Amino acid sequence: MCDQTFVAATFGPCENCSTPSPLINIYIKSEPINYCSLCVEMMACQGLQKGESLVSLKRESESLKKKLEEERKKLCDVELNQVAEKIEVLGALSIKTRRVLKGHGNKVLCMDWCKDKRRLVSSSQDGKLIVWDAFTLNKEHGVSLPCTWIMTCAYAPSGCAVACGGLDNKCSVIPLSMDRNENLAAKKKSVAMHTNYVSGCTFTNSDMQLLTSSGDGTCALWDVESGQLLQSFHGHTADVLSLDLAPSETGNTFVSGGCDMKANVWDMRSGQNIQSFESHESDINCVKYYPSGDAFASASDDATCRFYDLRADREVAVYQKDSIVFGASTVDFSLSGRLLFAGYNDYTINVWDVLKGTRASILFGHENRVSRVRVSPDGTALCSASWDNTLRWATDFVTENK
Amino acid sequence: MDNGMSSKTHNANSILLARRTVLQLRTEASRERMKVSKASADLMNYCTEHAMADPLLVGFPTSDNPFKDKKPCTIL
Repeated sequence: MCDQTFVAATFGPCENCSTPSPLINIYIKSEPINYCSLCVEMMACQGLQKGESLVSLKRESESLKKKLEEERKKLCDVELNQVAEKIEVLGALSIKTRRVLKGHGNKVLCMDWCKDKRRLVSSSQDGKLIVWDAFTLNKEHGVSLPCTWIMTCAYAPSGCAVACGGLDNKCSVIPLSMDRNENLAAKKKSVAMHTNYVSGCTFTNSDMQLLTSSGDGTCALWDVESGQLLQSFHGHTADVLSLDLAPSETGNTFVSGGCDMKANVWDMRSGQNIQSFESHESDINCVKYYPSGDAFASASDDATCRFYDLRADREVAVYQKDSIVFGASTVDFSLSGRLLFAGYNDYTINVWDVLKGTRASILFGHENRVSRVRVSPDGTALCSASWDNTLRWATDFVTENK
Repeated sequence: MDNGMSSKTHNANSILLARRTVLQLRTEASRERMKVSKASADLMNYCTEHAMADPLLVGFPTSDNPFKDKKPCTIL
């Protein structure tokens, strides 16, 4: 390919490759383009003859966004709470705190249940990780890690290990041993490496893979044994604060939410962003799938929680009240999906009726922000972690009339 | 000169970003969607089917409660 000879009126840095050279001054759809001859050739080869430029691309993305909105609006033939009018109103809930777990010396940032429905792991700001036995309130393991602000922790499906990560930009896996004298911190193995803090982590269906979200704007899938990056997920334009794996065994998707106010659904194998939802007005702090896997909820600093249906591809409910002005930091569903537990920065947990959109109950007790709420795997208990250094258990039971 | 150079590469990056956004939006626009009425009905069905098995919703008997207080309860 030889360059054509042309009369160059200008010489300077090319707008595409920045190398100083004689520039061909051309106009594409009346927009001046000053490229060097090589870039003009490349542009022609890349099929940009139709005049693709920054302006035309922006125009197309705007029209596509508008088209998407119209399509989504067309499907909104009825609101979720209207459909839910025929369902019975919830009876009074008697969910009460039964135990308070004290042991952390600083803000508890995260907790996760073990699949045995009995143990849980919690992490705090002072670098401590504690594994508790729910029934006996025993602290089974305590690990002191060198990094502060362990923002996320997760129990492995086998119950034999825990993962944690935070300001050290890493996510590490710690195998749990029955030997109390063993120094667990020494056996810590770094798996994930990000370029900013790790905000969320979860094991996939086995102990072998770890999914992480980070302040560097990406999510990533790692092989635990080798520490290899298996897949990375790009698309967020700001810190990713939370992620959740789809509940189905066959499903290979997860949802993430972040400071760009977007919630994205990803395909784990291809790394592609399948769906995106943008209706929150501030950072999304937490995302959680509905038990059936067809929907998910999000909690945000804009003091609302929202419910998105994946098949309708839109937001179907907003959980808000004029009296709630503090940001929501965490959400989780009850086993049937009828209740949504949301922890707020005003120290309360609001229990929402998912279908009707009304508040069913408020749980008081914490003396500082609620950082995490999680329903136990069998649905019998709700555990909440807070900046007041404690965790609380709550259950709902009816006294038998004998 | 440095500022000039970085703004030109920024321009190239913006085009790449815009192109990626357009491709992403094209795939999203071509997706199949369901009506909210049908999706809501499915969500409601899931709730009602599993409601009786939801211990936080319907409660469960004190005798089965592993967190039950061991001390006798007093009526206030």
